[in-house]
Amino acid sequence: MNHMKKWKAIEVTEIAFLSIAMAAILILLSGADPLTAGRMFFNGIFGNASGFGEVFVKATPLILTGLGCSVAFRTGFFNIGAEGQFYIGALASAWVALNATGVPGVFRIILAIGCGFLFGGLWALIAAILKAKLGISEIICTIMLNYISMNLLGIAVRTFLMDPAGSIPQSEKIDASVTLLRFLKPTRVHTGIFIALGAVFFVWFLMEKTTSGYEFKAVGFNKRAAACSGISVVKNIILSAVLSGGLAGIAGAVEVLGVQKKLLEGISGGCGYTAILITLLAFNHPGGVLLVSVLFAALEVGANSMQRQMGVPSAIVDFLIGFIVLLILGRELLTGKMRAKEGK
Amino acid sequence: MMQQILTVGFLSAFLSAAVRMAVPLAYAGLGETISEKCGILNIGMEGVMLSGAFFSFAGTFFSGSILVGLLCGMAGGAAVSMLHGVLSIRLSKDQSVSGIAINIFILGVTSFLYKLMSGGQSYQQIEPLIKLRIPLLADIPLIGNALFNQDILTYLIYFLVMGVSFFYKKTNTGLSFASIGESPRAADSAGIPVYRYQYISMVLNGVLGGIGGAYLVLVQVGNFSENMTSGRGYIALAAVILGRYLPFGMLGAAFLFGSANALQIRLQAVGVPLPSQALSMLPYLITLAALLGSAHKNHGPESLGKPYVRGAR
Repeated sequence: MNHMKKWKAIEVTEIAFLSIAMAAILILLSGADPLTAGRMFFNGIFGNASGFGEVFVKATPLILTGLGCSVAFRTGFFNIGAEGQFYIGALASAWVALNATGVPGVFRIILAIGCGFLFGGLWALIAAILKAKLGISEIICTIMLNYISMNLLGIAVRTFLMDPAGSIPQSEKIDASVTLLRFLKPTRVHTGIFIALGAVFFVWFLMEKTTSGYEFKAVGFNKRAAACSGISVVKNIILSAVLSGGLAGIAGAVEVLGVQKKLLEGISGGCGYTAILITLLAFNHPGGVLLVSVLFAALEVGANSMQRQMGVPSAIVDFLIGFIVLLILGRELLTGKMRAKEGK
Repeated sequence: MMQQILTVGFLSAFLSAAVRMAVPLAYAGLGETISEKCGILNIGMEGVMLSGAFFSFAGTFFSGSILVGLLCGMAGGAAVSMLHGVLSIRLSKDQSVSGIAINIFILGVTSFLYKLMSGGQSYQQIEPLIKLRIPLLADIPLIGNALFNQDILTYLIYFLVMGVSFFYKKTNTGLSFASIGESPRAADSAGIPVYRYQYISMVLNGVLGGIGGAYLVLVQVGNFSENMTSGRGYIALAAVILGRYLPFGMLGAAFLFGSANALQIRLQAVGVPLPSQALSMLPYLITLAALLGSAHKNHGPESLGKPYVRGAR
């Protein structure tokens, strides 16, 4: 056991070293000096309050979508559709926030977020039924649904949700009484972070302390064994997919009500895809998702600062995080423990 | 409106576009058929195509030669496939996880490199591949233009599909390759070099997927944009399933999905009074609907996606 831990420490050091080296190479490629860029990077994160706050603003939707992915992955449902579920959740909550004018402030927020959860979950349900009942690949289905939902949102902001006063494809501004409170001015940190933290606890409790969580994991671990011990595979895949989509839907709702305060195209910023990598890095653990999301958000804030100050494309973050995930996947290559299962 | 659609002009333009939209799917689908016959599910096809698209663009842009660009695209695709190959063959990783991770990684890589290349500059355009018109045959009404007035890559795919189909059906080596996807253990016992054949399949998968991506740049658009494959790699996966893992079946499915795309493009061109987004989602809706047809019917190789570890039980 001790031996294993030692190996892991070496791996972690190697992966960290290689990632930093890769970052330096990429910064050099963009024609900037890595040391100055590094200073700009940390300056962007810790230089002032609003930059530091931005880390938590960006982490909030990542935590929620990442949790969603982790629940589905552990049940063996490879939900690549968080992006689409995010869109549908954002669409539903924006519609409620703008149209349910009869419901007073706080209750409308709750209703809007609830609808985000509901519709995100229903969107995932489509793929879940196709997978659980008909055996169709959830990977292809969820990707197709992502593109469909992207276009649905595009239609919405050009037709029934379009701001009548403007000509840009986006909804009108949501009334201030229905938006999430920014409690740390001048930063943009909003109460959505508490929803995300609550969700971390909820998912951890569900997966580790309840029978449903146990059944999810059992199905994810071995479908046949789960079925033989009386656990319904179909039911659990559908439940976990709906929960997963619902969490991504909440992320969409929180982004609409807390950050953008209106519905617009590309509102997710690709966070549904990033969430997949975050979940993989966190080994599907809720606490890990929280940690990796905050780290990733910090990377993003720092990279934005590098882009503003030094012209290093902020896509460097997507490059690096993918690189790290692949390093972790291929870590046996680093330590020479290839095909570890051989001869077992 | 219907009169506008039911004209020879519209139909002929539609068929032409359908072929053009189907070709990249057919290349990627053929590559995927080859890897899946060997038991390797390459969900990373989207990344393979995107890499092929980017490197063919960069290659053509810097060298000024389409041939060099195409070779760069093939190499770019093969590199991505080999990455998946090493992870799934050598390290026996979960092939879905590896494929998805690769797709997102390649999206980041190509976006980053493209931004470096364009450096915030305006539009960069390359000269697309010329069409080779086959005399007489191209004059056949309706289908002549679609089938016989295309570029060389389009003509090539028909022969490649025939070749691959022949290879798996009629040759001993082809049978050996296909047996790996069914039962790698049995294949290994029969003396077939399982891992070597799997790597060969992955290279072919990458080269063909790379051409598929390159086609988008070199024939369809003439430039690169971020995430320009927009799900085509996954649609190619669907084409393989729908085509029941047969090269000709896959080609037919690619034409179906290509037509869906062509239809939305032609309808936008004639100005159908619908939001363009409603038409843009058509190919994805049709792919989803087509997958319904494959419900419960699994024609895939028996050991598809299962890592083979020599000597393990």
